Amino acid sequence: MSINDLSENAQSVAPLTLDDLHVAFGGNRVLEGVNIKFAPGFNGLIGPNGAGKTTIFNVLSGYVDASSGKALLGDKDLAKLKQTGRVRNGICRTFQSPKLILDATVMENVLLGMHTSFKRGHASELFRLPAQKKEETLAREKCMDMLEEFGLAEDAHKETGDLSLGSQKIVEVCRALVGDPKVLLLDEPAAGLGADDVTILLKGLRRIVEDTDLCLVIIEHDLELVTTMCPIIYVLHFGRIISEGTPEEITSDPVVIEAYLGSGYAEGGSDGQGEPDAV
Amino acid sequence: MARIKTNTSGFPLYPPKAPGLKGQGRLLSNTGGFVLMAFLPWLPILGWFTIFNPATNYGMGNLAYVYAYAAAGVGFNLLIGYSGTLGLAHAGIFALGAYGTTILSGPKECLDYDTCETVVRYSSSGYGVPYLLALPIVCIVAALIGVAVGFPAARLKGFYLAIATLALGELIIKLISLDEKVWSGLRTNAGTGKQVPIFELFGSGQLKSAYFLSLGALLITFVAYIIYTENRLGRTLKAVRDIEIATGPLGISGTYYKLVAFGLSSFAAALAGAAWAQNSAFVNPGSFKTRLLVFLLVVVILGGLGKLWGPLIGAFMFVYLRQEFQDQQKLLFFLIGVALMLSILLLPDGFASLPDRMRNSRWVTDLRRRMKSVKVS
Repeated sequence: MSINDLSENAQSVAPLTLDDLHVAFGGNRVLEGVNIKFAPGFNGLIGPNGAGKTTIFNVLSGYVDASSGKALLGDKDLAKLKQTGRVRNGICRTFQSPKLILDATVMENVLLGMHTSFKRGHASELFRLPAQKKEETLAREKCMDMLEEFGLAEDAHKETGDLSLGSQKIVEVCRALVGDPKVLLLDEPAAGLGADDVTILLKGLRRIVEDTDLCLVIIEHDLELVTTMCPIIYVLHFGRIISEGTPEEITSDPVVIEAYLGSGYAEGGSDGQGEPDAV
Repeated sequence: MARIKTNTSGFPLYPPKAPGLKGQGRLLSNTGGFVLMAFLPWLPILGWFTIFNPATNYGMGNLAYVYAYAAAGVGFNLLIGYSGTLGLAHAGIFALGAYGTTILSGPKECLDYDTCETVVRYSSSGYGVPYLLALPIVCIVAALIGVAVGFPAARLKGFYLAIATLALGELIIKLISLDEKVWSGLRTNAGTGKQVPIFELFGSGQLKSAYFLSLGALLITFVAYIIYTENRLGRTLKAVRDIEIATGPLGISGTYYKLVAFGLSSFAAALAGAAWAQNSAFVNPGSFKTRLLVFLLVVVILGGLGKLWGPLIGAFMFVYLRQEFQDQQKLLFFLIGVALMLSILLLPDGFASLPDRMRNSRWVTDLRRRMKSVKVS
C-alpha cells in the first residue's frame, strides 16, 4: 500500500491532535509530552508494554484526565466534553478484552453502538409507536449491513457468549463502527484472532476507510499487521514518542530497534507483564 | 403473516420466531395467560388448595396478595435483574403507594350528623380525590421519589448502594409513622393505622375489586416489563449491568439509566402498594418495615432474578408459606430461609428456570434421544 498523503494536502485541521499531553498517576508519569497529529486513514501506535498506549486511548475516551496538555478533536477541546459528548462528536473505541453483553444477541450488542443516534424516547418505546418501530428497524438494518461486511451476518441472532473470542472482538469493532465515528480507536484488535478473522477484519476496515475519511488509530503488537496497514506509525516508549514515520522508516530506525523491536526484532511484545490499564 | 424484515442481502433483522404459541410473540401469549388468570377464581382448579380456594373470600384475598406482591416483584426485577442495581428502598415506596392513595382518595372529614351524608371520622378521612385520579398521581410522585432516592445512590455500587437505599427506604417508613396526625388517625393494638377508603370497581364489592385491581397492576407491570426488556431500554440496562465500564464510550450514561430503572420500578412498587392496600383495607406503618423488603426480595429471588414469570411464582410460594404458617411466625421465617437457601443451592436462577433446567438435564436429553430412536426404527 502506498503512503497516504492526505495529511499533507487537503486537510488543514487534523481530525485528532494531541498537543503536549501529560498524564501522571500520582508520581508515576505515564505520558510525558506527547504530540501527535493523527491523519485520516490508518494510524499505527506501537510500543512496548507499559509505554502508555492505552493511556492515550483512555484520555481520549474520557477515563483519564490529562494533567496538562490538550487533546483536540478537529478544533474541539476534548477535556470540555463528557464521555457521552465525546461519542456524539464522533470518538468511538474498542477495548483490549472485548466488553460485550454475553447473554444478549450479537445484534443487540451492535445496536448499543447506535445508542446516541436514536431520537425517540423510551416513552414512545413503551407505546410501540410506529415512528419508534421504524427507527429501530432502520438501526437494525444498518447494524446488519455492518455485520455482513465483517462476515458475521449469520451469527447476528446468536448469543454473543457462544461466539469465539476472535468473533467477539470483531463484533466490538462493528459496534464502534455503526455509530459513524470520525475517530475510531482500536486497542489491539487482532490479538487473539485467527488468520481468517484478521483478514476479514482488515478487509472490512480498509473498505470503510476508503469510503469515508475515518481516522483510525490502531494499537497493535503484531508488527507485520501494523506495517502493512498503516502508512504512518508512531512509536511510544516510556510516555514519549521516540519515532514516527512510514513503516520503512520505523523498522530501520535504530532508536526503535533498541527500545521495542530488539535486534532483528524477533520479540514483538509478549504479553508477559500486562499493561497498567484503567480499563 | 407479516413479511419478515431483512436487509438488502436478505438477512433477517429480527430474531426468528419460535414455533407454536411462543412464536406469536411474548406479548400475545403472555396476555393469554393473563386472561386465564383473571378468571382463575371461577375455574375449579385452584379449589384444591384451601389457601387459594377462590370460592372463599379468604382464598380470593390471598390471590390478590399474590398479584400485588408479584407486581412489586416485577418492578424489583427490572431494577435488580436488568440494571443490576441493588436498590432496597422498595418497602418504603410500596408503603408510599398504599398510604398515598389512602390519604388522597379518602373522603373529607365530616363529623356533623346533620349535614354529612355519612359520618367520616378522622381515622379514615382524606382529601377526597377520586381514586382513579389519585392512583396515577401517587404512582408518578412515587416514581419521582424513587429517582430522588436513586440520585445520591446511583454513584454507589453493590453493597454500599444496597445499604444507602435501604436506609432511605426505612426513612420513608419512619416519616410515615412519625407524624400520626397526617398519616394515621386510628390507634389499634397493632399501633397506629388508617382505614383504607374502598374503591369498588363497577360496584363489585371490596374483595373482587381488590382482586381485579391487583391483577390490573400486575398486568400493567408485566406488559411494560415485556416491552421494555425486549427493546432498546432492556439492552441498554443490560449494558449498564454487564459492561458498565464500557458504557461511556458508547454514549450511554450509566447514572441516567440507573435512575430510569429506579423510577420505573418505584412506579410499579407504588402501584402494587395501592392494590395491596385495597385488599388489606387497613394500613399501618408496621406492615411495611424491613420484613416487607425481605419478603419482596424472597419473592424475586425464589422466583428467579431477571425472569418474567419469576416474581409471580415466587409470590405464590411466599403467600402459600405465609398463610399456611401464619400462627407460627418463627417457623415461617425459618422455612423461608430454608426455601431461599435451597433455591440458591439447587436452582440459582429461581423456580422460573425449572422448565429450562429440566429440558437441558441429562436425564431428559437421554429420554428424548431414546424416543427419537424409537420413532426412527
